[in-house]
Amino acid sequence: MWTKLYRKYRYSLILLRELVITDFKLRYQNSVLGYLWALLRPLFLFAILYIFFVEILHIGKEIPHWGVALLLGVVMWNFFQEVVGQGLKAITSSSGLIRKINFPKYIIVISKSLSAIINLAINMIVVGIFAIISQVELSWGMLLIPLFVLQLYILGTGMAFLLAAVNVKYRDVGYIWEVVSQALFYGSAIMFPLNRVVEVSHDIAVILAMNPIAQTIQDARYYGISDEIVTTQTLTENTLILLIPFIITIVVFVVGAIYFRRRSPYFAEEV
Amino acid sequence: MSDKKYAVEVHNVKKRFSYSRHKNNSLKRAITQVFKKKDRSKDTFYALDGISFNVEQGDFFGILGRNGSGKSTLLKIISEIYQPTSGHVKHRGKLVSFIELGVGFQPELTGRENVYLNGALLGFSRKEIDAMYDDIVLFAELEKFMDQSLKNYSSGMKVRLAFSLAIRAKADILILDEVLAVGDAAFRKKCNDYFETLKDDKKTVILVTHSMADVHKYCNKAIVIEKGKIIYEGAADGAADVYKSLFEKK
Repeated sequence: MWTKLYRKYRYSLILLRELVITDFKLRYQNSVLGYLWALLRPLFLFAILYIFFVEILHIGKEIPHWGVALLLGVVMWNFFQEVVGQGLKAITSSSGLIRKINFPKYIIVISKSLSAIINLAINMIVVGIFAIISQVELSWGMLLIPLFVLQLYILGTGMAFLLAAVNVKYRDVGYIWEVVSQALFYGSAIMFPLNRVVEVSHDIAVILAMNPIAQTIQDARYYGISDEIVTTQTLTENTLILLIPFIITIVVFVVGAIYFRRRSPYFAEEV
Repeated sequence: MSDKKYAVEVHNVKKRFSYSRHKNNSLKRAITQVFKKKDRSKDTFYALDGISFNVEQGDFFGILGRNGSGKSTLLKIISEIYQPTSGHVKHRGKLVSFIELGVGFQPELTGRENVYLNGALLGFSRKEIDAMYDDIVLFAELEKFMDQSLKNYSSGMKVRLAFSLAIRAKADILILDEVLAVGDAAFRKKCNDYFETLKDDKKTVILVTHSMADVHKYCNKAIVIEKGKIIYEGAADGAADVYKSLFEKK
């Protein structure tokens, strides 16, 4: 019984590792600078955002270190976007493999999400560099950022499991997700501080802050960078509202995982 | 019932496919289908219609049948790639199946990288591959090509590399779907040797083939499938005769 369990677990780990390595290698194949792009790409991207939004448009100028907060938000959003976007294609794009061998299918979705974690880690280095330049003071709150990232990861993989399984039958999922993710992007106050929304309507701000993407990103900004940033906790003291983002996270993950598990025996013939 | 331990048991397996199963990939179709309420049974057929047989430990078991008779579907169900519509399959011991050689090969990666990737699919860790890497390359006769990307390989080279990896697979039960119907004389010789060692090691093998020479040479038992049903079960020689007669009817 135990040896059987171990064997299964071992196989998944070996496979997972190779799939992540393969993913990473394929991504930077045939480029002169190779892996360096993993670092250069976010660096340039951030420089553009920084110049345009902070220096030219003065968005969030009233908040100390808003530039760094902006970058942190963009990095976390890109991470979420990658976990879901790559994950939802994971099964359909591996149809050749799935139709020919039997292996635990969740490995492919997880391998995509691990690639996203590697990218996130590289991006975080760049955020760190900007934080040093911007002289963000070190705080214990920074240690909480990995927890918010973890929450975002749980939400993202749950979403990826659900969408990957639905995508096998209905290829519309990719298009629908593209639209929905645009809504989520603007609804999560990433390019602008949530403070701006509060100025317009406190209620709208509360509704936005109930979405776990907004909550994780604003919380990470609040604890790690500047306590002048509005987040779910500064908006309301209602415990139920405070719990909603966490409940959504757990429900999405559980529903996604169960649905994926139930559908996965049929992927080979449906994909 | 006897308490004999079979390596593979296939019990009354049926598999239903729908003719239009690939056309249902959009929401629009799903929605229109709800309104149409068509009789679904007209769109489906049984690729396997009540298949039962047992494979004993150490059998070299042949599955014969014409194209489209349901052999590959059966292999996929035994390999647990497909789920049977009804009935069940069971196996004892580690089962490895080769529906195709070189599954998961990445053309953009080098031969070396593909060895590790494909090895992982067979359940080998990096360390284990390290230990047998030289043997794999030597057997595939690709010493000079391992750092080239796979897209530059000829199909023969790819098959050699895949085969060299496949024979390392540690399994009690092996399932082979015509994987060895390719390659030149030298390659066939290697396959031959591999089959002989499988036989000597008393491994359980399930082989799908169209080569009656192979059936006579290796198999001790065989079944013949026609239109999803078993029309013969027993000694390999008899199976070969039944199989040949399928083509003489018309």
